[in-house]
Amino acid sequence: MTIELLAIPGVLLVLGAALLPLIPEKLRSSVFLIFPVAALAMAAMHQDGYTLTGAIGNYDLILLEVDSLSRVFGLIIAFAAVFGGIYAYHLKDLGQQCAALLYAAGALGVVYAGDLFTLIVYWELMAVSSTWLIWATRTDAARAAGMRYLVYHVLGGGLLFAGIILHVTQTGSLAIESFEQVYSISNILIFLGVGVNAAFIPIHTWLSDAYPKSTITGVIFLNSFTTKSAVYVLIRMFPGWDILIWIGVIMAIYGVMYAVICKDIREILTYHIISQLGFMIAAIGVGTELALNGAAALAVSNILNKSLLFMACGAVLYATGTSKMYHLGGLVKKLPYVLGLYLVASLSISGLPLFTAFVTKPMAVTAIGYSGYDTAMLLLIFVSIGTFLSVGLKLPYYTWFHADSYDKEIKPIPFNMYIGMGFVAVVCMVIGIAPSTLYAFLPYETDFNPYTIYLFVEIMQIAIMTFIGFWMLKHLMKGKLVIALDLDWFYRKASPAAYRMFIKSTDGFFGWAEKVVLNTAVLSTKVFRNPMTWLNPFGNKENDATTYSPGMEVVMSFILVCFLAFSLFYFL
Amino acid sequence: MKKIYWILIGLVLLLTLVLEFMFLADYDSHWWNAIPGFYAIFGFLGCILLVYAATFISKKIVNRDLDYYDN
Repeated sequence: MTIELLAIPGVLLVLGAALLPLIPEKLRSSVFLIFPVAALAMAAMHQDGYTLTGAIGNYDLILLEVDSLSRVFGLIIAFAAVFGGIYAYHLKDLGQQCAALLYAAGALGVVYAGDLFTLIVYWELMAVSSTWLIWATRTDAARAAGMRYLVYHVLGGGLLFAGIILHVTQTGSLAIESFEQVYSISNILIFLGVGVNAAFIPIHTWLSDAYPKSTITGVIFLNSFTTKSAVYVLIRMFPGWDILIWIGVIMAIYGVMYAVICKDIREILTYHIISQLGFMIAAIGVGTELALNGAAALAVSNILNKSLLFMACGAVLYATGTSKMYHLGGLVKKLPYVLGLYLVASLSISGLPLFTAFVTKPMAVTAIGYSGYDTAMLLLIFVSIGTFLSVGLKLPYYTWFHADSYDKEIKPIPFNMYIGMGFVAVVCMVIGIAPSTLYAFLPYETDFNPYTIYLFVEIMQIAIMTFIGFWMLKHLMKGKLVIALDLDWFYRKASPAAYRMFIKSTDGFFGWAEKVVLNTAVLSTKVFRNPMTWLNPFGNKENDATTYSPGMEVVMSFILVCFLAFSLFYFL
Repeated sequence: MKKIYWILIGLVLLLTLVLEFMFLADYDSHWWNAIPGFYAIFGFLGCILLVYAATFISKKIVNRDLDYYDN
């Protein structure tokens, strides 16, 4: 049994996190890589239908269950841990390394979990370990954002757990299965719990708040695990819930709007995650085989593209020390390779031919169109314009071009960062050129062919005209030193009131009760210190208690002796 | 940007339009396919709309100083 447990990729990574502190620092980065590689190999080896069971109390747990859906997500998550590890190879921070391993373990565990109980355990593991990757930046902003992030995920995990408990008591089943579209309390709780991690609007602000403040290397893991495992759970449990279509469309528009607004390169990318999640979630809402394939394919391509975008922007941040567009510009001579790698990722995510999203995004979008949701489809195409505008044009233009040259010194970028980026860039292009390499892994068989004249015409016309529009109006998108408020304004502005209501008032009540008890004690000691003052109202009230003591002692002793004597007499 | 790039972009755009009118004339699965060069128009107008909407929203509603939440 114990040996069998090692067949679970998640357990393997937890083991790695436990062993890593024992490894000498020099070897640690290399050893770090062994575990995700082993997990990846394990994920690749498991055949569909492989399960591993255990038991807790009266419940049978399915610790590992492999099918075509969990396989594709498991593989890409393990792969993300591998390239994230390569990118972070130069890092000498044990805390971050262990947290990253645990985090990957959580994500893999969620994907392979065969029952709800196993799922929630890994779900919480993800929440806790990922917080460290935000705190590890060690700035005040990161500390506060990490705390808000944790509060959000504790809330989300709590909702999910409550939903699961309710579901189990009602149905007696721990199985992870697709739920009927019924808005029962347990379903709503689970839906919202997953929705926190899937960054539904308006419970998305943890993402836009914390990710830009996390560490350069940590954000690669953050981007790949939490939201994508939530997408997996949505595909698993809520396929065809049509409310998801509109949730997805709103997310897509909202995210891309902020990506156009924001002036910090990491914020742009973070908001753009929400937008991309919107595509996946809308496709899950449609729920046809093509749509679910599209959602899974988009999740895979998004992990690759968005990680590469974050890696390139992380390299810029590493080299220059800033991610504000206001300070950047003209880096083309100093960081030319980073620009090249960035462009691969940005063309990939914008869905240009020969790159990844060209073979994945149309799958989801056309599936939505096939099912008759023309408006949703058109809105998502509109969002594609924003993707190219914000991530494909604005960000690189104001980072690498625009100003004449970035005049400050730049820090040399570690070579392993380039290797990590190059690795992902190659994969992005391979999938773009030969889509069957990805399609073979998708949950359902597909004969979808993205290389049609129609899709080529569509994306090229959009891209070219967007470029012309951008060129005309680019002065409006220049970097400024501002922040963009988001819906978390409501929570953050409400926090003093909430503090007053839940902490100060409770504190006040306890303080008051304590004071009452103390005062009672003070009063009673005062009153009972000298009983003679009220036993003998005619005596001298100013007398010291000691004056009465001998007399009192005699009386008391007499009573006691009598009592003893009578009780002896009675019992004997 | 150099003139040659603009010419290249123009040529690709022309190619897509040629392809559209040569091969996709009878394509009618969505209502917008009836409009010639729809994606080009949509792309351009969408881009303009997005930029102006973003400028409006940022100026009027969401933009604040960097230390807004500190106070």
